[in-house]
Amino acid sequence: MKGMVFTSLLEMIENEYGYEMVDKIITESGVSSNGVYTSVGTYDFKEMQQLLISFGKNTRQDIDEILHKFGRYFFQVMTSNYAAFFQGHQSALTFLASIDSVIHVEVYKLYPEAQLPKFEIIEHTPERLEMNYSSGRKMASFAFGLIEKTVEFYKEECSIKMKNLTEEGDVVNFIIKKIV
Amino acid sequence: MNPTQEIEALKRRIEREIHARKEAEKILEEKSSALYQANVQLKELNENLEEKIQQRTLELEESERKFRSIINEAPDIIYKFNTEGIIQFANPVLLKKLDLNEEDVVGASLLDFIPEDWQEVTWAFYQQMISLNESETYFEFPLVGKKGNWIWVGQNAMLIHRDGKVDRISGVARDITEKKEAEKTIKTTQLRFTTLISNMQSGILVEDENRNIVLTNQKFCDFFNIPISPSWLTGRSCADSAEQSKHLFKNPEEFVSRIDQILQLKELVNKEELEMVDGKILLRDYVPIFADGTYLGHLWQYQDVTFERQAQSMIAASEEKYRGIIENMELGLMEVRNDETIIRAYKRFCEMTGYTEEELIGKNALEVFLPDEYLETIKKQSNERQQGVAGVYEMQIKHKSGDLIWVLISGAPIYDSTGKVIGSIGIHYNITEQKKLQIDLENARKEAEAAKEAEKQFLANMSHEIRTPLNAIIGMSHLLADTNPTQEQESYLDILKNSGDLLQTLISDILDFSKIQSGKLELNKRPLDLEKMLQNLIKTFNLKKGKKEIEVVLNWEDRPCCFLEGDELILNQIFMNLLGNAEKFTEKGSFGIQVEKLKEEDDFVSYEFGVFDTGLGIPENKYEDIFTNFRQVNADTKRKYGGTGLGLPIVKHLLELLNSKIEVKSKVGEGTEFIFQLTFPKTKTAIVPEKVSDGISNVYSLSDVHLLVVEDNPMNQTYISTLLKKWYASFDMASNGVEGFELAKSRKYDLILMDMQMPEMDGYETTSAIREKDNLNTNTPIIALTASAFVTQKELAFESGMNDFLSKPFKPDQLLSKIQKWLNLGSQDRNSNLPAEKLFHKNLDLNLLNELYEGDSEYALTMFEIFLNDQVKDFEQFRPLAEQQKLEDLSKLAHRLKSSASMVGMSELHSILEKLESEIRNNASKQSIDLTIQSALNNLQENLPHLQTTIENLKQMP
Repeated sequence: MKGMVFTSLLEMIENEYGYEMVDKIITESGVSSNGVYTSVGTYDFKEMQQLLISFGKNTRQDIDEILHKFGRYFFQVMTSNYAAFFQGHQSALTFLASIDSVIHVEVYKLYPEAQLPKFEIIEHTPERLEMNYSSGRKMASFAFGLIEKTVEFYKEECSIKMKNLTEEGDVVNFIIKKIV
Repeated sequence: MNPTQEIEALKRRIEREIHARKEAEKILEEKSSALYQANVQLKELNENLEEKIQQRTLELEESERKFRSIINEAPDIIYKFNTEGIIQFANPVLLKKLDLNEEDVVGASLLDFIPEDWQEVTWAFYQQMISLNESETYFEFPLVGKKGNWIWVGQNAMLIHRDGKVDRISGVARDITEKKEAEKTIKTTQLRFTTLISNMQSGILVEDENRNIVLTNQKFCDFFNIPISPSWLTGRSCADSAEQSKHLFKNPEEFVSRIDQILQLKELVNKEELEMVDGKILLRDYVPIFADGTYLGHLWQYQDVTFERQAQSMIAASEEKYRGIIENMELGLMEVRNDETIIRAYKRFCEMTGYTEEELIGKNALEVFLPDEYLETIKKQSNERQQGVAGVYEMQIKHKSGDLIWVLISGAPIYDSTGKVIGSIGIHYNITEQKKLQIDLENARKEAEAAKEAEKQFLANMSHEIRTPLNAIIGMSHLLADTNPTQEQESYLDILKNSGDLLQTLISDILDFSKIQSGKLELNKRPLDLEKMLQNLIKTFNLKKGKKEIEVVLNWEDRPCCFLEGDELILNQIFMNLLGNAEKFTEKGSFGIQVEKLKEEDDFVSYEFGVFDTGLGIPENKYEDIFTNFRQVNADTKRKYGGTGLGLPIVKHLLELLNSKIEVKSKVGEGTEFIFQLTFPKTKTAIVPEKVSDGISNVYSLSDVHLLVVEDNPMNQTYISTLLKKWYASFDMASNGVEGFELAKSRKYDLILMDMQMPEMDGYETTSAIREKDNLNTNTPIIALTASAFVTQKELAFESGMNDFLSKPFKPDQLLSKIQKWLNLGSQDRNSNLPAEKLFHKNLDLNLLNELYEGDSEYALTMFEIFLNDQVKDFEQFRPLAEQQKLEDLSKLAHRLKSSASMVGMSELHSILEKLESEIRNNASKQSIDLTIQSALNNLQENLPHLQTTIENLKQMP
């Protein structure tokens, strides 16, 4: 997993709970990198899980809750670092619909080893977007946060519905509908 | 967190960040070094290019070496030969395939290994290749080994140059023997296929994926008016064909657009109908051809179904026609399945019943239409349909409004293709109006009959009222004659007797007239003494004229020489009426009868009779009127002469009965003559002179018998008792039925004489009472004394249990002969006692009949005829009475017919009717009453033939 995700997570925790919490989590989770992350590096996804579990324990938060919050936080990282991606789109729905076919393709060019979730478009009309998220990493809530922020970014009002299609949560259905 | 911990944490943070920085620097360094390397390699590549080419050339030589070995080890046939055709090289595959050694091949001519018929063409191929300098070619030809074994090869040939000239030819060939064999098979198959298609009755067009014609046939060309042979079409494009042929079709644009659509969809199309301008109807199929998912073209098939369609539409039209006819005939059709589910209800039927077809389909016909009382009828009909029998029946069905309508239903089974009955079709004809009319008519008929019955009753009563006193007058005059009267007294008595007789006849006239009116008068031909009859009439009128100075004459010069036959009663009445008329209107001169013989043959004589007078005469314009009922010449006549105005009409009717016609000749003031002609058959039978009453008193004695006389009229009582006393008979006299019944209870009589019409308890009731069980006179003969001349009265008498009847007024000898007959006295012709078996059908109750008739066949015959002619029809009343719940009438009818049944020996029927009576009394269920009625009717039907046989038999008896 890209180092940027790790550094962003720790950044978010530090902003909210101070570096003590960051230190505590790193120490307690016993991640093999010992908390040394650089945004240009790549690290084992297992470490992300360890960090999340530890953070959850310490702040009595649900993992999905953290992921949701983290998704919303990470969006800002994206907009500041990759603003170009957002410029080509007039609305949240067209942007979201382009993730799989445009953004992820670009990501692969930069990081051929990257493992990205898949967003399969089920239906796309100007008013409604339905897509299925699928990833072994089961980070749909992270995606949910990102989507929410995307809608805000484009200053639109949408209802976003998330529904697990499998028990494990590796396939999740999203329906984003414009509120006129 | 204390400051120490905080410091520790910060230390760790710094450490981590240092590590992270170093790691990031390392990553970045690696990436830039990779970039540097790539750059260096690019530079080097450029510098080493020349060296590389040399290296490549070497590598090429190496690879050529490798190829050579590959050639030797290749699975393909490889060979080389020079421009002369001399083989220089052949690889082991070729040698193996042709079973040859290298020595056989190398140095030999290539043509040695090619079959003769292929040599020229093969060599020409190589020559052409050389002359055109074609670097690479492909050719197929057979190769043959020395042992005659051969293979097909597909060969790629390559020219090998040396010094700018063709030096050698190298061939790489593959064994394509199998492919060739397969091709041959395909060709055969294709030929068969093509032949098949060419000869098909459908138009076939096969196109490839580019819409070029692969195959078509003559039929196709015929359909589309294509004047060239189908084989010429092969290879041509069909792209515009739809456009070119569209004028042949009724909807040309649709034809084109549909073809485009089909071609675009490339989906199977089945039997699409196309109408052509010339009236032809084509069916089109479209079959796309795919091989492993690749579209290779398609096949069109066109079939001419014009004839089939025409036939179909003719059948449909005919069906429609007949259906239309039936529908217009106000016949309602309905089809049901075997379980009575409605499959189809036609328009008329719907109109008839008030439903729509949708409301009916799928419903059970019985539930919708059937009133409960017809369940049995329908069950029976359904059974018959099941057995394939058609039938016609009437019943009521329920209209949607709930009203019942009468329908005449003609039902017929419906068969499936295997001949199984799968349902039935019912044709319904609404006969509600007819039924209503029928019922109205029936009611009218009943009313008319009742009125007629009332009239009959009135006449019967009236004749009784007159006859009873008349009986006394006549009887008394007979008694007076026995008292040694003086000669003068005797002549008065004669007049008295004659007048009595005349009066009696007149009463009969009235009755006869009513009989004539009702068509009930029957001719009764007997031996007749015409002359004596006419003389008596003249004698009577001579006595009657009294002091009038007129002559009553019979002018008959040519008196008859032989015996004739005729109905004396009717003749008498004709003359009586005419003479009476003449007498009435004649004040002076004469009246009488003129007889003239017209013709005499061996077996008949014809006379013309004229009854004339010298009276008033009739104006000619009144001739018609005088024969009209109740009309006279004028009102004045009626006032002056009286009369009913019936006399002449009776004469006219009676003559009509004798096939004759009356004519009038008259002159006012001079006289009138009524003329008619009659023909009489001759007979050989002499007339037995009637016994005169003289001497009766001394001939028979009834001293040993004891009689009961039930008679309410005092004059008749006197008359009968005087006679009985004269005959020394002992008797009891009862003045009414109650008294008579009491007497009959107290002692046994040998014979009972019973008047019919009496107050309190009439003759029938009294007789019925006496006939009840435990009466001493249950079996005593009872003779009815009836003043009514009507047969019905006699029937009633028999029904109530009487044995015989005697019409009033009767003469002494008539009474005596009846008494003698029933007491089996004197010389009266009582039938000899024939055993019952000889008289009656064996299935009847012989014991009972024997008891009843004691061998009297004549009496039996009368009874049987009465039963058959008049009473059988009364059985028809049972069902209607039961339906209308008229239980009292039903019981009465059963009671009445019960005794009638006994009289003809039908004991079983008697018991059934008795059962019916008791069921009604005990309020039995309608169902069981119906059942009993049914068994009574069945029993009657079974026995009717026996009664008929019996009647025929009885007629044969002496």
